[in-house]
Amino acid sequence: MNTKKDIGWYVLFTMPLIFIFTTVVIIPFIIGIGYSFVSWDGIPANPKVFVGFDNYVQLFQDERFLQSAWHTIQFTVLALIVVNLAGLLLALLVTNGLRVSNAARTMFFMPNLIGGLILGYIWQFIFTDAFNSVGEKTGLKSIFFNWLLDPQFALIAMVIVFAWQMAGYTMVIYIAGIQSIPDEMMEAAKVDGANLWHRLTKIVFPLLMPSFTICLFLTLSGAFKIFDVNLSLTKGGPNNATEMFAMNIYNEIFAYSHYGIGQAKAIVFFLIVAVLTLTQVIITKKREVQM
Amino acid sequence: MITKGSEQVKKVKKVFGLLTATAMIAAMVGCGGSGGNNSASPSATASSSAAPEKLKKISIFQSKVEIAEQLEALAKKYTEETGNEVEVWGAAGDGYATQLQAKLTANEGPSIFSVATGAEAEKFKSYYYDLSNEPYVKDIAPNMALTIDGKVVGVPYGVEGFGLVYNKSLVDPKDVTDLASFTKTLEKFKAEGKNGLSLSQEAYFLIGHIINTPFALQPDPQAFIEKLNKGEVKMADTKEFQEFAKFMEAIKANTKNPLEVKYDTQMGDFATGKTAMVHQGNWSYAMLKDYGDLGFEIGMMPFPLAGNNKLAVGVASNWVINGKAGPDEIKAASAFLNWLFTSETGKNAIVNEFKFIPAMVNIEAKDLDPLSQAVYEATKSGQTIPWALNYFPQGIIVNDLAPATQEFFLNKNMTGEQFLQKLDAAWAKAAKQ
Repeated sequence: MNTKKDIGWYVLFTMPLIFIFTTVVIIPFIIGIGYSFVSWDGIPANPKVFVGFDNYVQLFQDERFLQSAWHTIQFTVLALIVVNLAGLLLALLVTNGLRVSNAARTMFFMPNLIGGLILGYIWQFIFTDAFNSVGEKTGLKSIFFNWLLDPQFALIAMVIVFAWQMAGYTMVIYIAGIQSIPDEMMEAAKVDGANLWHRLTKIVFPLLMPSFTICLFLTLSGAFKIFDVNLSLTKGGPNNATEMFAMNIYNEIFAYSHYGIGQAKAIVFFLIVAVLTLTQVIITKKREVQM
Repeated sequence: MITKGSEQVKKVKKVFGLLTATAMIAAMVGCGGSGGNNSASPSATASSSAAPEKLKKISIFQSKVEIAEQLEALAKKYTEETGNEVEVWGAAGDGYATQLQAKLTANEGPSIFSVATGAEAEKFKSYYYDLSNEPYVKDIAPNMALTIDGKVVGVPYGVEGFGLVYNKSLVDPKDVTDLASFTKTLEKFKAEGKNGLSLSQEAYFLIGHIINTPFALQPDPQAFIEKLNKGEVKMADTKEFQEFAKFMEAIKANTKNPLEVKYDTQMGDFATGKTAMVHQGNWSYAMLKDYGDLGFEIGMMPFPLAGNNKLAVGVASNWVINGKAGPDEIKAASAFLNWLFTSETGKNAIVNEFKFIPAMVNIEAKDLDPLSQAVYEATKSGQTIPWALNYFPQGIIVNDLAPATQEFFLNKNMTGEQFLQKLDAAWAKAAKQ
């Protein structure tokens, strides 16, 4: 074994990626930490005033920020449940030996190929114009009205769009998990008299734990960091009722030109996402079982 | 095996660290280099000095989507007539200020760009080139030039005005002169199944323009805004605003919820006669034009708040030259502006292509559309109120006033008085920041 040569190869293949990762992620991140301690409006000619931890103190008194945090938590919890439930159900459905399962898989996955911005605009049309006219035609105005104008329903609308986009993706991961469960095991269980519920809860779900880990991680971090659907569907409205974390940060920096505070928020945001997703991964990892 | 393996890991780690360090240093050097390079790059200067009679290529970045194509066509004409090149960067609309800031901060700013009068102009003031001694500046109509610290730094696009744009076959201006007649007119249309007045969901069309009136009616709007910023006065305690709130109550009670209406539906419903009045400006004629012959005449009248009988007229945007560009580029940029405002082609384009109401004394306006004509006449006769909204804290309309207004229109129980309190609270928050 020639270690020197190995290192050479290692360097050759990792160097480009490391270089890109450092220049576009690590370094800006470190510079960003620096910006979070100054008060600055983003114009190079204007002074950057060092304010220490003032930005951090200020953001915890920022009601709009705290509200957006609360919206994000609501959204994330709902999205987590809806996306994974839908993904899992779809996966179970298409692995059940239906004749159209291949076509169904493609169709369920399709929304994921459309960008969040475009999805947002399409659904904006559905929630405003289509819902209104359905409500007028059917008289069911209590369900079909402009959802985006109601603070509660606008949040649910976002969950629906996000689920529409992500369910297909999680479905693919769940399908892979389900297919890796050997048929003999399922048949043996059947022979032993286990009904569908037992087979699901005692065999499928425990063996799906790795898939759960991945899917929960993806939806958790995806929902927490959501921005594109937020921007195109509701723009944070009505009355900032659907302004999520990422959008609040964007507004702080670009609408109010508070680069310092915005950056401080971004750091806090990063810490929260990191802690949340790590905890989740650790918890679900523990529950994974070996076959 | 194990020791060897761990050694290998160690070595890898070392190399890793070294690489990271190298990459970081490389990147930092890169950043530092571009950061210090504020003036024009030497290579560019050299290339332009090689051809002395030809001016350096310039770039233009501006906010108005409406004139994007026309400006590009004009740039081509300029190249044909003078041989100098102009590059027009696409118009950015709502995201303009953000994109402009990003470009300027990265030292990739355009030679000529536009800024809105007021807070936005104030924000970018460190970038302007002093135009005081340029020939075309003397032709700017009185009080219309953009000045910062006593120096003329910007040339106005043109003047624009807004008020109540109305359908002449449905509305008689005599019926819309005060709160009582205004409300009565709206109620009449509601009974007929028509929409009396339409606002639309965009921040400026929802609240930004309409709230300008109570501000503009203050004896000294700018001083009033400053007092408001300091918290010395409140909208809720000011007479004009109290009446404004009643107007908004009347609008809420008698018209379609503006949050359901977009700018294009607003103008579309107006063009097809479903809406009798819209609170809009002369720019909206471009939308109406697409509907061809409307079958009725249109006009613009003042928003009749507290006896107001004047249209709100102001300068929305200005051309400025990037003072951080190299001297050659500034010279070329100024030559372009000179051509734009003094040559026949340029003057013609401003009036007939851009459809601006000129704010220059050397440009004659003819064949204006009916809305621009109304604004032009009001300007000539001095029957105007200023655009106080230009002096609002930057971004307040989109960030703070619009959400408060959304709440007002969504919450059926909210009174005008509560609405004013919300606006006051939103203002206090925005001004503090």
